[in-house]
Amino acid sequence: MEVLREKVEEEEEAEREEAAKRAEWARTEKMMRPVEVRKEETTLTQEMLRDLEKKLSEIQIPISAELPAFTKDTIDISKLPVSYKTNTPKEEHLLQVADNFSRQYSHLCPDRVPLFLHPLNECEVPKFVSTTLRPTLMPYPELYNWDSCAQFVSDFLTMVPLPDPLKPPSHLYSSTTVLNYQKGNCFDFSTMLCSMLIGSGYDAYCVNGYGSLDLCHMDLTREVCPLTVKPKETVQKEEKVLPKKYTIRPPRDLCSRFEQEQEVKKQQEIRAQEKKQLREEEERLMEAEKAKPDALHGLRVHSWVLVLSGKREVPENFFIDAFTGHSYSTQDERFLGIESLWNHKNYWINMQDCWNCCKDLIFDLGDPVRWEYMLLGTDKSQLSLTEDDDSGINDEDDVENLGKEDEDKSFDMPHSWVEQIEISPEAFETRCPNGKKVIQYKRAKLEKWAPYLNSNGLVSRLTTYEDLECTNILEIKEWYQNREDMLELKHINKTTDLKIDYFKPGHPQALRVHSYKSMQPEMDRVIEFYETARVDGLIKREETARTMTEYYQGRPDFLSYRHANFRPRVKKLALSSAESNPRPIVKITEQFFRNPAKPAEEDVAERVFLLAEERIQLRYHCRDDHITASKREFLRRTEVDSKGNKIIMTPDMCISFEVEPMEHTKKLLYQYEAMMHLKREEKLSRHQVWESELEVLEILKLREEEEAAHTLTISIYDTKRNEKSKEYREAMERVMHEEHLRQVETQLDYLAPFLAQLPPGEKLTRWQAVRLKDECLSDFKQRLINKANLIQARFEKETQELQKKQQWYQENQVTLTPEDEDLYLSYCSQAMFRIRILEQRLNRHKELAPLKYLALEEKLYKDPRLGELQKIFA
Amino acid sequence: MNRLCDSMEPKVMDDDMLKLAVGEQGPQEEAGQLAKQEGILFKDVLSLQLDFRNILRIDNLWQFENLRKLQLDNNIIEKIEGLENLTHLVWLDLSFNNIETIEGLDTLVNLEDLSLFNNRISKIDSLDALVKLQVLSLGNNQIDNMMNIVYLRRFQCLRTLSLSGNPISEAEDYKMFICAYLPDLVYLDFRRIDDHTKELAEAKHQYSIDELKHRENLMQVRLQDERARQEELEKHKTAFVEHLNGSFLFDSMYAEDSEGNKLSYLPGVSELLEAYKDKFVIICMNIFEYGLKQQEKRKIELDTFSECVHEAIQENQEQGKRKIAQFEEKHLSSLSAIREESELPNIEKMILECSADVSELFNELMMLEMQLVEQLEETINMFERNIVDMVGLFIENVQSLMAQCRDLENHHHEKLLEISISTLEKIVKGDLDEDLPDAPASLFVDKDTIVNAVGASHDIHLLKIDNREDELVTRINSWCTRLVDKIHKDEIMRNRKRVKEINQYIDHMQSELDNLEYSDILD
Repeated sequence: MEVLREKVEEEEEAEREEAAKRAEWARTEKMMRPVEVRKEETTLTQEMLRDLEKKLSEIQIPISAELPAFTKDTIDISKLPVSYKTNTPKEEHLLQVADNFSRQYSHLCPDRVPLFLHPLNECEVPKFVSTTLRPTLMPYPELYNWDSCAQFVSDFLTMVPLPDPLKPPSHLYSSTTVLNYQKGNCFDFSTMLCSMLIGSGYDAYCVNGYGSLDLCHMDLTREVCPLTVKPKETVQKEEKVLPKKYTIRPPRDLCSRFEQEQEVKKQQEIRAQEKKQLREEEERLMEAEKAKPDALHGLRVHSWVLVLSGKREVPENFFIDAFTGHSYSTQDERFLGIESLWNHKNYWINMQDCWNCCKDLIFDLGDPVRWEYMLLGTDKSQLSLTEDDDSGINDEDDVENLGKEDEDKSFDMPHSWVEQIEISPEAFETRCPNGKKVIQYKRAKLEKWAPYLNSNGLVSRLTTYEDLECTNILEIKEWYQNREDMLELKHINKTTDLKIDYFKPGHPQALRVHSYKSMQPEMDRVIEFYETARVDGLIKREETARTMTEYYQGRPDFLSYRHANFRPRVKKLALSSAESNPRPIVKITEQFFRNPAKPAEEDVAERVFLLAEERIQLRYHCRDDHITASKREFLRRTEVDSKGNKIIMTPDMCISFEVEPMEHTKKLLYQYEAMMHLKREEKLSRHQVWESELEVLEILKLREEEEAAHTLTISIYDTKRNEKSKEYREAMERVMHEEHLRQVETQLDYLAPFLAQLPPGEKLTRWQAVRLKDECLSDFKQRLINKANLIQARFEKETQELQKKQQWYQENQVTLTPEDEDLYLSYCSQAMFRIRILEQRLNRHKELAPLKYLALEEKLYKDPRLGELQKIFA
Repeated sequence: MNRLCDSMEPKVMDDDMLKLAVGEQGPQEEAGQLAKQEGILFKDVLSLQLDFRNILRIDNLWQFENLRKLQLDNNIIEKIEGLENLTHLVWLDLSFNNIETIEGLDTLVNLEDLSLFNNRISKIDSLDALVKLQVLSLGNNQIDNMMNIVYLRRFQCLRTLSLSGNPISEAEDYKMFICAYLPDLVYLDFRRIDDHTKELAEAKHQYSIDELKHRENLMQVRLQDERARQEELEKHKTAFVEHLNGSFLFDSMYAEDSEGNKLSYLPGVSELLEAYKDKFVIICMNIFEYGLKQQEKRKIELDTFSECVHEAIQENQEQGKRKIAQFEEKHLSSLSAIREESELPNIEKMILECSADVSELFNELMMLEMQLVEQLEETINMFERNIVDMVGLFIENVQSLMAQCRDLENHHHEKLLEISISTLEKIVKGDLDEDLPDAPASLFVDKDTIVNAVGASHDIHLLKIDNREDELVTRINSWCTRLVDKIHKDEIMRNRKRVKEINQYIDHMQSELDNLEYSDILD
């Protein structure tokens, strides 16, 4: 203790020596408090006071309602380790140092609020804030980066407001307790997040400061939901290609430049007007959305996390609000000021003026003018060349008394008293308390669920509203996980009633996107597919009431597009489903990619089957150096000439335009063959269209079934949920158990009951051994006999009963109802079965009994305890 | 032979026979009627079967240009001939004939399946042109030398071979030998070769095969080297500086120069010659490098030019296609409107509108084309100027370098003359230290002789240099003119083709319209 006091005194001396510096502190200190606060205080009128009172009471109501759930009475401290309940000497020392520091600080800066240094923990023990941080690297790879980590903390804990919004809390619980109860205030949040971030290698700090009302109450209703923000399209500026040396000159422009200019001017005017209107509209909206001014602006205590650049490739400093898990720039105007900040090694007080929020703060913790540190000698001395020099000189001075001072100065932070942060895999998966969380954003509501919590696999739902009051739903987005039908996202637009389902790869029909208004067939619908999973390479199928369009890719026949027009179905009197009465097809248009193996003038680019007009139009691909393409049109009317003979082919049945006329294509034979081929193709295409229609029906049916069943897949590695593997495991366990039982049985000691009669610990005499053996054997023999008797008795009983029954039957046979007879017959067969089994058992017993007897005798003979026996025989 | 060739009269492959065969084997039923009605051209026939016809001589097949499959089996053909024009032939069956040597197949580069079963062939050769050969049937012949197999190694695609019924197939080693020497073969004598046999065969004939392979490899390497050298030379030639990367020019200067060679025995001349050669070679190297560099530059210039021209043409074509597509869309709808219209005056009016549209399209397309022609002309002229300038500069620089060569030569000449004269004086005075060899000694008779000799040598050298220079200049100039001519000609061709295409299209459209009008009036 002597030494300790000395140390403290010395430290005090050292502090005093720095008085000059402190004076500087004091001067800056006066400007410390945010300006707005003072203004508010001075201009408070009576009315405003009342107003404020009202507001405060409003705020406190929910707190008083919620707090009892998480007071120290409800915390079970009995299970906590000793380090939670007591302080080690080193910690005591640290507390003294801190007290001293605090005293000096309040002496030098009387205007500033007292420091938040050592709040009580759940066991009512004062603990220094830095030691409450427990750097932990979580075993989940998802938690390695700051964004997912922050998101996890914000999801995992439920927010509890501070008991007094103007003061830091009196208690700061360990992360262990906070995790147990999944509740905490901003300090708990930031402590936990900071522990995890430091653990995964970030340069993170807990900040005690002042935040805006929204920030302190985790009120996101004025924030745009990050999920609704469309990612800004990165407009890639097309690099202006330098005109090459021989680029041709553009043709002369013959338009009047004056007129163009006038036009442009007019356009600009119109645009400017529109813009102005838009802006005005926006401003009006902004005005409406703006928050009412907060009376306690700048006074609300908040805690968040600061991440400094340098480690883990963080390019610049930023804040993380642990409540929401969002990151903010250090310039953000919601963060109104910083009192102090700490990590697991040291504690710094902000000596800079916060009149302009945190915008002017410089986060160079090595600069003692801006940041007053509590402990010397930690590694954080980025700047301060002078300080380095000083310590250098000091070292030289104190060479003889071997750095007792040094040791003092570099009094390092004791190890954290908190246990390692542990999150069980279940808790990690469940994430939110009870697996459910609702966040209200501006014009949007986000609901989250743990996977497998909802039976249909729903994990989150985002509802977007039209108005600020959230009454008119604009659209709903639902995300699913682990669905067997691979449904990933369901997007429902309430205004247009359009539903879009998105699927992950792996749907049995290779669906990718399905957008529809109703599940009825032959309506507007677009189905997209994973084309690589399909044999026919279909990418997309669009349907309207009268048309169906299909897009293909990667087919061996180079088909790229097929469009079919239908006529309304001919009405039939009989009720018929779509299968039996397909809609008549009017026209099929097919387009093909270029087939490099064929010359262009023989490679069909488009063919149109006009089924109604019995015409077929062909358009060929265009050659590389041509601008016109060959065309051919076939009229497939089968006519009869004047003599009644069928006309096979006449030149006017084929009208063709050829870019480069060729000899052989003019031949009727060629044309005839082409037409025959096309006729076959037409049939095929028609068939294909019908097949597509059928497929749509099938898909719709499948979808409906899937929607109704909504089964979830379970990974084979998920041993908890996978019923099959569970069963298997249980079966294995049962088998193991039985095996064990059997082993125990084999080790059953036959001699134990007989040995028990003898005094323990003594060696058996020969006589005793013989007697023991005989007794054991006779006992066993008796048991065998008993068993045989038992079986015999049962056998006889059954036989008798059967006989009785038979007798009864004989007597009453005439009067029996058929049911009774059935009953009797079934009884008979069962009885016969039992009798047969008993007979078998008896026989078996008779066979086995002598063997068993011999086996026991053998066993007893070999038993080491009856070693005496052997001697005789030996 | 054992067949009926003696008892029956040989037939001649005349037009009638071919027509008959084509008609029989051509399309049937409805298509057959059409075919008969129109007649089939021989050049459209893809497959022809002429078996059991007692043909002695293959003839009259030159018209079947597009024939893919020809069957001439079971005839009495004695010589393979008249197949030169059938270059598209893939399948040729000449089995059961009386052929004795393989010949006349040199143009059938596409042949994949050749059957010469049951003939009288004793040697496999003259098949070098058949690089795509996959199936070769040579059973029942008189091949008796195993070394014929080695010849078949050159056919990379050969998978099926039949040789049964030949004297060599009697040899016990027959199968093993073939498997070893033709490792890519899959079927031999209509049976699949299993892997085990292959392994065995390989093991058995390993040494000879290895030796063969080694020889083949050596040959391959030599061929490759030769080709690489040839390519290098070709590259230099396109830069017009071939054989300037060394002492080739210098050596050629002395190759025909007997006096110079004689004089080189004079004391001090060999050192002089050495220094001269070094300097000369350095200048040659300069020319060479400069030439390559210039060639590179010209190539880049040409590439940029053709790329730009290509882009311009593409762009123009796109525009044209767009115009036509727009027009066709409109045209189709108006055509169907005309068809549905019943009032004659209305129809006439609409047809008039349509034809106006057609001529409008014509104007637009032609305008586009004319625009392009103008633009291209400008660009081509620019390119021409640039390339001519480039060539001029190149020639100028090469000439100046050549002039350096000439200076060197002059310098050397003077030195040589000096030495010669001093030597002559020494000889005259008789105080020459050592004896001269006979050859130069004969020159040192008097002053005139020696001066003449040195002068002659000098003249030869200058002539060589001048020749090389002239060659270079002429060649590059002719290259340049040819290039420019070609560009102009291509452009003209392109223009003509496009104009023709447009006209054709417009004509078609117009005639379609006329037909419509005509038929409507008839209705």
